Amino acid sequence: MFAYIRRRALSALIILLVASVLIFGILRLAPGDPAVAIAGPDATAPVIKAIRQSLGLDQNLAVQYWTWLSGLFTGNLHHSYVFGSSVAALLGQALSNTLELALGALICAVVIAVAIGVPAGVSRRPGSARTANLIDSVLYAVPPYVTGVLFVLVFSVALHLFPASGSGPGPWKSSASLHALILPAVCLSLPTAAIVGRFLGSSLRKTSEADFVRTARAKGISEARLVWRHILPNSLPPVLTILGLQIGQLLSGAIIVETVFAWPGLGQLLVNSVTESDYLTTQDILMFAVLVFVIIQLLTDIVNNVFDANRGKRNL
Amino acid sequence: MLVSKKWISLLALSVAGSLILAGCTSSKSNSNSTSQQQGSTAKKGGTLTIVQSADINTKNLMGQNNPNFSIEKLIYNTLIHYNHKTLQPEPELASSWKLSSDNRTITFNLRSGVKYHTGAEFTANDVIGTIKYMQLPTTSSQTKSIAMLITHMVADNPHKVTLTLDHAVSNLFDLFEMMPIINPSNMQQTENGKTFDGTGPFKVDSYSPGVGVKLSKFDGYWQKGEPYLDHVDINVVKSSQGMLSSLKSGQSQLALDLEPLDAVSIKNNPQYKLVQSDAQDNTLYVASNVKTPLLSNKAVRQAISYSIDRKRVLSQVMGGIGEASDLPWSPDSPAYDKALNHRYTYNPSKAKSLLEKAGAAGQSVNVYYNSGFAPAAGAAQIIVFDLKQAGLKPVAQPQQAATFLTNLQTGNFDGLFVQGHGFGQLHPSILINGSFPFNASKNASNFDNATYKQLAASVAQTTDPSKQKSLLRQLNKFLLDQQFLSDLVVSSHTYTISSKVKGLQWNMLDDLVLDKTYIQK
Repeated sequence: MFAYIRRRALSALIILLVASVLIFGILRLAPGDPAVAIAGPDATAPVIKAIRQSLGLDQNLAVQYWTWLSGLFTGNLHHSYVFGSSVAALLGQALSNTLELALGALICAVVIAVAIGVPAGVSRRPGSARTANLIDSVLYAVPPYVTGVLFVLVFSVALHLFPASGSGPGPWKSSASLHALILPAVCLSLPTAAIVGRFLGSSLRKTSEADFVRTARAKGISEARLVWRHILPNSLPPVLTILGLQIGQLLSGAIIVETVFAWPGLGQLLVNSVTESDYLTTQDILMFAVLVFVIIQLLTDIVNNVFDANRGKRNL
Repeated sequence: MLVSKKWISLLALSVAGSLILAGCTSSKSNSNSTSQQQGSTAKKGGTLTIVQSADINTKNLMGQNNPNFSIEKLIYNTLIHYNHKTLQPEPELASSWKLSSDNRTITFNLRSGVKYHTGAEFTANDVIGTIKYMQLPTTSSQTKSIAMLITHMVADNPHKVTLTLDHAVSNLFDLFEMMPIINPSNMQQTENGKTFDGTGPFKVDSYSPGVGVKLSKFDGYWQKGEPYLDHVDINVVKSSQGMLSSLKSGQSQLALDLEPLDAVSIKNNPQYKLVQSDAQDNTLYVASNVKTPLLSNKAVRQAISYSIDRKRVLSQVMGGIGEASDLPWSPDSPAYDKALNHRYTYNPSKAKSLLEKAGAAGQSVNVYYNSGFAPAAGAAQIIVFDLKQAGLKPVAQPQQAATFLTNLQTGNFDGLFVQGHGFGQLHPSILINGSFPFNASKNASNFDNATYKQLAASVAQTTDPSKQKSLLRQLNKFLLDQQFLSDLVVSSHTYTISSKVKGLQWNMLDDLVLDKTYIQK
């Protein structure tokens, strides 16, 4: 067991090392110069050269790579070339904003999925399932950048109900933050709500045909109580699995929604860093993403290995 | 029944309640507009929300930098500011000054009782400290060349400073119009966005990189009774459409530099006002890399200039904001010359004939532009069309901003490139010695010409007004003849505001001045 963990940890380290080389190399190959971004378009060559020197960009690439990598190992995530703040602080704030948006979207997705899926799943009217499928299809097909723009036009510009952009003072800190969260969260939630709603409807229909449901009806339980207390809870396990898988989609979709609503999350930070040629911030964000992925893979492999080992023992 | 009527009613009430709540919050944040309709005109107080497309640049406060328009004169003051009509310096942190007869020594008498936001007293040593910061190798500024001429600085007393230059320059006061006085002890923290310590009307409460800045009124401001506003919030919204939505939704009251076509789309809406800066510091141009075989020929460059329909660029790209112009100067510039301004009137047949004579007909030429800069993208389309009519084979080459700026800095475009420049509104020396597209020492066109350098040096060092006039005419004729850079439209930076915003001002570098700004109730 420990030998397996050691082997997997070593391969995880190799993956991280290779990723670091690729990330560093590709960013250096991409056009752009942070010194030019800082100095401005009217800067003279000597000023740009001086800024490059002050940022250590005049050193050879191997030295720059080692300086960056050693900083990662010692927990020193450097200071952004362009913003001046520590990358750790920028990353922390951006991540918390993205998680706030994703969590808000998850809650909205669940509410909308239940609103669509429950009537579709338990109604005996012939058109209900078709109607729900149609709604699901529309919600899934229309991309968030389209719904986002439409939401802004209707709910912000025309109706003045919600702010058009920004995030307010901070996560859950005030009604202003919640107010600013609603539109982007709903926009992000719609494709997920469509998928989860469809699964929920299908799962409810299947559960409705179970023997215990017939028995409960025969006993005279009201339809509402039957649905909410018995059918729905028993339909949830496969739906929760799908919901779990959709969380990853929500996080990746957040990048697009952040752009539409100027939501200051990880997506915005990454886009800003790339456009400003802020190598350090971009490198650290990408390495963070790789690290999270590698850790999840590692833990999954270890857990699988434990279950396999136990199954092997039981089979014996 | 699946879902009882009771549940449906409860659900409907919840939805209605949410909408009402959202409406209440919305109407609460817009309470200014409601009470304005009801009448009382309170001049003081309130929050002005500004929206702009890029984050402030804390490492480039010493130069003119578009995203910093919203903060320079809110947080900081300068020694002087220019009168918009006469371009003569007027007192700000300096109450008076004396320039020696040889224009090499200037003594400033500084205002007393001025405090920084941290409470420290503003003194002559701060002027010296700021100039020393400007002189650092890593500090970028269009007026740096003037600062570098200052060889001797003395604080005669806490409120008097004498500066001595290596030689006289014609545009000395451009430095003092541009250079914000920053508390020297906080320079490094300012660069890192941690501390902003100035003497201006507003102090920074918080700065979130990439997101925005929150400022509040500085109660110790030396202009008593000002500012009128309590708070200013600056939000970053990357797209012009997003900025427009923010304005139209009532979330913000001032949008900085909307794209021209977005700005004119609400020009006739009485709820908004499109304010065009009289500095006219926003010029669109097309330039040549004169090192390429085709564009090394002056006749070809002149032909290109004749081929471009500048009026079409003005109306279809710039929304009619500004005027078509062959030269970079705004009407208030000392170099402005109406007689010379329209030499290259649109004439495709003349362009065609010049190209044929030069043996350039049918030749291919790349037209580079920053795809993220809408006016340049629009102008490039028109230029490509016009060049085709003139008999060339143009190829549009959109580039990402990072690539474009790098090529601009290194002079690596192998053809024409479309971009914007400023500084046509001040003394010409700042444009031809400090602004990269025109810089006689090194420019993006790789135009390296002894006559041009001589002219630029003369314009910079000649202080006699009568000699200046003749020099500027010479300069204009030279620029018109060489056409390494063809100006298209001299336009303005714009501030699109809610009609309830009153008292908006700005300096000749387009930095917002909000001392007397208020929101009408």
